Amino acid sequence: MNSLSTYLIISALLFSLGLLGILQRRNLIGMLISVELLLNAANLNFMAYNRFLAPDPVVGQVITLFVMGLAAAEAAIGLSIILALYRKMHSINIEAAQKMKG
Amino acid sequence: MTDFMLFLPELFFILGALLFFIFSLRKTPNPAGYHRWAVVLAAAGLLVTVASSHQEGMLFFNCYRVDLFSQVFKVLMALGTIWVIFSSGELKGIDTRQHAEYYFLIFVCTLAMMMLVSSVELLTIYVSIELSSYSLYLLVPMRRGEERYFECGIKYFMIGVTASGLMLFGISLLFGVGHTTYVPQLIKVLPTVISQPAAIVGLVLALAGFFFKLAVFPFHIWAPDVYQGACNQVTTYIATVSKMAAAAMIIRFAGISGGASPAMIKLLIVLSIASMTFGNLVALIQKDIKRLLAYSSIAHAGYILIGILTLNSQGYAAAMYYAAAYLIMNYSVFMVIMKVADDGHNLQIKELAGLHKRSPLLAMTLMLGLFGLAGIPPTAGFTGKFLVFAAALGKGYLYLVIIGMVNATISLYYYLIVFKAAYLLKPVKEYPPVRVDFWTQFMSFALVIMSIYLGVFPDRFLSLTEAAARSLF
Repeated sequence: MNSLSTYLIISALLFSLGLLGILQRRNLIGMLISVELLLNAANLNFMAYNRFLAPDPVVGQVITLFVMGLAAAEAAIGLSIILALYRKMHSINIEAAQKMKG
Repeated sequence: MTDFMLFLPELFFILGALLFFIFSLRKTPNPAGYHRWAVVLAAAGLLVTVASSHQEGMLFFNCYRVDLFSQVFKVLMALGTIWVIFSSGELKGIDTRQHAEYYFLIFVCTLAMMMLVSSVELLTIYVSIELSSYSLYLLVPMRRGEERYFECGIKYFMIGVTASGLMLFGISLLFGVGHTTYVPQLIKVLPTVISQPAAIVGLVLALAGFFFKLAVFPFHIWAPDVYQGACNQVTTYIATVSKMAAAAMIIRFAGISGGASPAMIKLLIVLSIASMTFGNLVALIQKDIKRLLAYSSIAHAGYILIGILTLNSQGYAAAMYYAAAYLIMNYSVFMVIMKVADDGHNLQIKELAGLHKRSPLLAMTLMLGLFGLAGIPPTAGFTGKFLVFAAALGKGYLYLVIIGMVNATISLYYYLIVFKAAYLLKPVKEYPPVRVDFWTQFMSFALVIMSIYLGVFPDRFLSLTEAAARSLF
């Protein structure tokens, strides 16, 4: 079980689930969570490659830490925009925000 | 001490951002004062960037390379920033309480893009591109009033974070096959492993983040809504400065594969054709001029890609020239839009009617800008298209050049509709007069002269971009 391919399969699954969620979810919070899945799939990849293929220097782990920090900032910005949208449209459903066309 | 000098332009923009952060904490806003400060700081920033344009060196444990390529783009971005800030004198589209934050975010975003073009380590690239995106995510929904435009903020955010998620996954795959995140090392390793599927998938996914910024075909969906929904000054910033950074990074990334992968070149060709054709065809039916320019920007992203996908220094130099020309002509058009719609509303094409009587100078600037975008000589836009197509022909992509030419002809139609509105149509009702102050006149003349000078005498600037493209390798 403790092999590179296990981790890669899990991360590919996470990535696909995240992408599916973004395309299929209609709730903005749900979409935001799906984006976090994408980022975490990449994080898992970095950790696995770091552990099995390129253990020295620990670039993969450093990148993972950075990505976690950036993901938090991203969620803060996203939630603030969603909150402002809720105040104006009284809904966090993406279908409420589809008036611009052409 | 020398390291400090290398980082001077960026330090200067950090300083500007800090100052506006402090201003944003004040209880009573002073918009006119902020604008004066911003113009002075941005002008000084441009001078500092130009002064340090011939520096070379490495910083931060070799993660950050200052070379001719990065410095040329930094000068272009500083130039675009001062133009945008200069036009923000009457920032009617944004609440006066948020003006300090607006300037703060513009400075941070320019800083991030300057760091982006200098980064040669995947982590630095990722952090800088996120910093610039986060600033833009906040700038886009800042518009006052207009309830119906608010949704563009969330659309921009969602598409942006998805693109950056794809990009990060791509970077992780590149790390997996290359065992390094240092770009100069990746350039050496990647051509030997490019036949592995993981390498090619990683590279394409990593490019997704930059395609989003440049609005290339599958990631273009945000452009029309954001251009229409953001306030005029923010749209101008996205349409000019942020395109520079994206073009620079696609040039740097496309070179990683070393031209060893025909699959990747085929993909870039398909994306370029799709962007050009889609952008130009949909632009034909637009009524709102900012929306029209959004579709035109998708088409222009396709032209820039033609230069990049040749993967040689001639093509990169042509793409850089094209990007600079695009900055000038796009800003010409946007400056006229901002001046005619100085109360911050969205300009419809028919509102330009009779502009040549209301303000002959602005009408001329608009004409030169539109002719440049359409690629009519003697403007810089024509020379740019010529150079890009010549580079593609040199590589034998005849069909790509033919499709590009057909597209340029299609695009002529909708640029001429705008031109017709400004010069030939009679206004159906009385529009308020356009106020043109001294600095706007000065800028109009400067833009017209720059556009024609670059178009007729491209040699000096072209030799600069060629030297910059060579410094990539």
